Amino acid sequence: MIDTHGLPMPENAPPPRSCVRLQHPEPGLAVLVLDPPHRTLAVLDLPLLRDLDLALDEIEGDASLRGLVVTGRSPTSFAAGADLDALAALTDPAVVARVVGVGQKLFERIARLRRRSPRLRTVAAVGGPVPGGALELALACGCIVAAVARETRIGLPETQLGILPAWGGTTRLPRRAGVPRALEAILSGKLHSAREALSKGIVDRLAEPEDLLRIAGDIAAGRSRSPRRSRGWRALLVDRNPVAAGFIASRAREQVLARTHGHYPAPLAALEIACRAPRTSTAKSLAAELRAASALAVSPTCKHLIAIFRGSEEAKKLGRGPDGRARRVPERAGVLGAGVMGRGIAGLLAERGIWTRIFDVAPAALDAALSEHRAAAAERLRKRRSEPREATEAIDRLDASRELAGFARAGFVIEAVAEKLETKRAVLGQIALQVRADAILATNTSSLSVAAIAEGIPVPERVAGMHFFNPVKKMPLVEVVRGRRTSPEAVAACAGLAVHLGKTPVVVADVAGFLVNRLLGPYLDESLRMFAGGVDPARIDAALEDFGMPMGPIALLDEVGFDIASHAAASLHAAYGDRMAPCGVLDPMIRAGILGKKTGRGFYEHAPGGRGKKPPSAPDLARFIPPGRPRLPALTHAEIADRAVLAMLNEAARALEEEVAATPREIDLATVFGIGFPPFRGGILSFADSLGVHAVVERMMRIAAAPDVASRPGGRERFEPSDSISAMARTLKSFHA
Amino acid sequence: MPRTSVVLAAGLRTPWCRAGGAFAREDAGHLGALVAREVIARSGVDPGAFDEVIAGCVGPPHDQANVARVIALRAGVPRRVPARTVGRNCASGMEAVSSAATAIEAGRGELFLCLGVEVMSRYPLIFGERLTACFERLSRARTPFARVSALTKLRPSMLAPRIALLEGLTDPVSGLIMGRTAEILAREFAISREEADRFALESHVRARKARDSGRLAREIVPVLPLQARNETRSVEHDDVIRDEQTLEALAKLRPYFEKPDGRVTVGNSCGITDGACALIVASEEKARAFGLAPLARIVSWAFTGCDPARMGLGPVFASAIALEQAGLSLADMETIEINEAFATQVLACKKAFESDAFAKEQLGRGSALGALDLERTNRNGGAIALGHPVGATGARLLLTTAHELAVQGQRYGLATLCIGGGQGGAMILERSPG
Repeated sequence: MIDTHGLPMPENAPPPRSCVRLQHPEPGLAVLVLDPPHRTLAVLDLPLLRDLDLALDEIEGDASLRGLVVTGRSPTSFAAGADLDALAALTDPAVVARVVGVGQKLFERIARLRRRSPRLRTVAAVGGPVPGGALELALACGCIVAAVARETRIGLPETQLGILPAWGGTTRLPRRAGVPRALEAILSGKLHSAREALSKGIVDRLAEPEDLLRIAGDIAAGRSRSPRRSRGWRALLVDRNPVAAGFIASRAREQVLARTHGHYPAPLAALEIACRAPRTSTAKSLAAELRAASALAVSPTCKHLIAIFRGSEEAKKLGRGPDGRARRVPERAGVLGAGVMGRGIAGLLAERGIWTRIFDVAPAALDAALSEHRAAAAERLRKRRSEPREATEAIDRLDASRELAGFARAGFVIEAVAEKLETKRAVLGQIALQVRADAILATNTSSLSVAAIAEGIPVPERVAGMHFFNPVKKMPLVEVVRGRRTSPEAVAACAGLAVHLGKTPVVVADVAGFLVNRLLGPYLDESLRMFAGGVDPARIDAALEDFGMPMGPIALLDEVGFDIASHAAASLHAAYGDRMAPCGVLDPMIRAGILGKKTGRGFYEHAPGGRGKKPPSAPDLARFIPPGRPRLPALTHAEIADRAVLAMLNEAARALEEEVAATPREIDLATVFGIGFPPFRGGILSFADSLGVHAVVERMMRIAAAPDVASRPGGRERFEPSDSISAMARTLKSFHA
Repeated sequence: MPRTSVVLAAGLRTPWCRAGGAFAREDAGHLGALVAREVIARSGVDPGAFDEVIAGCVGPPHDQANVARVIALRAGVPRRVPARTVGRNCASGMEAVSSAATAIEAGRGELFLCLGVEVMSRYPLIFGERLTACFERLSRARTPFARVSALTKLRPSMLAPRIALLEGLTDPVSGLIMGRTAEILAREFAISREEADRFALESHVRARKARDSGRLAREIVPVLPLQARNETRSVEHDDVIRDEQTLEALAKLRPYFEKPDGRVTVGNSCGITDGACALIVASEEKARAFGLAPLARIVSWAFTGCDPARMGLGPVFASAIALEQAGLSLADMETIEINEAFATQVLACKKAFESDAFAKEQLGRGSALGALDLERTNRNGGAIALGHPVGATGARLLLTTAHELAVQGQRYGLATLCIGGGQGGAMILERSPG
């Protein structure tokens, strides 16, 4: 019996023995079905573990058994892994250790069935999502048969959430698939298709969903040979060879550090255990997993990563209808404008199975859009991410049009023409006359008001903003902008499409800069002011990379382009007044034709074709700083980061006050997915919370009082704590409390 | 009972491109689907409303057996809509339209997507029979010795491929390649080399003018070819047209089919070409219900047989019947599109149209059909300048005729062509009012 006292039990937990069914389809064979009545998809929560324990008692006591199949309630519904809600709430390492220990013991009992006398052939028959704990359960079985289905996703994503596979996954996968492949799976946290999982040695055999149980049963009953292949000589030469394992571990460590800059402890802990697993006893290795997990699971990093994961799952529900199912995506869509954004959006739509027609007056732009799309399809084919059939399908789904005609059957139109109000109104107005009566008209504007664009269009309630970020295919965020007259249906349709395109939607109000660009404004401008004050741009970037940003603000400006950044800054200034006043240091550079990466020269010098950049040369850049600018006192790395980040934070607090986004969680999501705010910090508002409101206020006041800030127009306003931060300081609350 | 009025409701084509050129890496499925999608999009027709998709194609790709079905699905036509591929050699594209018209008249549907499509670039090379037999022995060999022994039977001479294109252009009954049937007509109708070359030159001159004036662009959708290199621009015009063609240059060419005295050269024949053409064929009622302004109404059509060795005269036989059915005369045809398979063949047709003797002996008529006025024939050039993607041409002739009637503000037009194997096809169109 599991001692469940003090462990997290869901409120709607069903009575014992109701979560696991044990069937005996034939003598000597048992089928264990995970079928908890309180979950749509089985979760390895406490009630399920409790019932698994009871079922194992029964199996262990039955000497007549020769085979056991572990499966889900349907071939494509195995289990969703551990109970993240419960995990997120745990703050006591001792409790974590108990939860981890319960799972470890259960799975180890399953693993031992193979070695008991008489031996039991154990087979996991899995399909649908098989992440984390669900895979660890399967790994405890003698062999794994996976259903070949679109829904099947198999992997160990724990390190992405700041923990490690601690129910034996870090121990068993290296023994099964070999250290190199296990490391790849554990460190990337990738969820694989059934075919990929087979080729990577994670599962042993594939089966069509309809045949899954029969085939697993045949193997468990001994009618078919076990498909599990031994690692053979590789086990001795690679996995169990301390020299090879040491080399692999050190290479992996280097790669992880290069990627995470030491901000994420989980992958490091996992790789040490995984590399040693084949040479260590199971008991010792499991003990190491348990120790590491207890420490990691209560760390702020883990809490933040789980919060972002859950927040993004929550955001994706925006794309579901009231019945909880994914909304119907339009069969046909139109994209107006074949610039960088239009092209990217159209290509993504076509890739995702939507018949797409892209319009532009410039034939060259259309040709480029088609070429780019076909090249992307060819590239996926080359990397074996798609089959020839899928590449052909993607290519067929994008057509070009030189006239604003032929969109009659489009259910969705996304406008991405030049950022001019009149142009946008004109094309949307024209398109509104020919599309279906229920078509959604979305604008990909980044600086204009959605309400203003909708003005004069016959169906303003169907006009919404859908702000994609560049590069469209890589950036995971879409801001769905609710204009003054936008209908809730239109907002939902935009969110639904964003989810279909693999993006995380955040619904924002129709204010200047929306959310992301509004927060980026003060962040980038403050960085530029530090440069103007004499700080080496490379130091600014280094300080923020140390903070955890994927790219420093100066390098980001090079990517965005100075003209665009300056245009955005001006519109923020116009909308919000002096606290957004741009420092103007970009203007002389723009006049000199220096626009960033696209001109080969920004703060950095960029090699053609995006191949690398040279560090900025400070003296050379100094000529662009207007004479008479006050030089800043020497700033430490931490002070540099503070100035940039706290400027952003204060604006984020204001945005929350103004309800630009509905919840602090959504602002956090937008900063992580739209700005690259370090995920381990949980987003800008989580960062403030973990700093503590007093520390935030104190640091903000210090910067506001700095002579260079206090003396410039809007300087104090930018840094003096906003109303909500001041109020929080008085009431000792936090954003997420 | 009055027959249902059948119209060409909308249509477009790709540019015609020299085989092995711009569309060398295309496939019929992609090219056909592309033009089909564009016709559907521009017309605004619900693709679910089609009763069937019918495609004419002479050499469907080996991996697209029913190429019409492939095109339909790749064009976004719903799965439940059926599709068939039809063949009548050079008239396959016209056959697609006449099949639809027949179905509409029979009350078996009201809205059809019809195509003619041909990617001659991708006609395969075929292993000879001896090599095939050798492979067969190899695959049946069970022991290593048997395998080696089968391999030793392989001879270098077996590797010479059979060229599907050339064999496809040869009529197996008369054993003549098409060019030689044109030589027969040239001799029998006394067409000189110079007459043929003059006709060919005029085709290029007219096509060039039509291209430059934007007349051809009315019917063309630009295509960015598959596998185009980076920075390649989409093809907007037919690329067979020779701007610099001269009589002198034509005169220098050696006869291709009958050396040294023949009159047919590559210069006065149509080129091997790739292209696709799509037309929406509907009952007039259905077209109006969809808010389409039809291009033209189909008045009558005919296919008929003739001597395979003189297949080039097919248009004369077929036109005679189509005119008879329509109760019209050749003089009523203000626009005529006749396929220029060979200059000598068109000129022979002209003489046959105009000959009382031919009418009496071959057509069973008292007098000649009438003058084939070259001024009103192929005003925008013909296959010699534009090319002849065999399965697509029939549809293109109809599209061009319909547009020409609109451009000229005329009433009746005739589209006719000769068909390899000894047939002729002809269809009479009437411009739809409004």
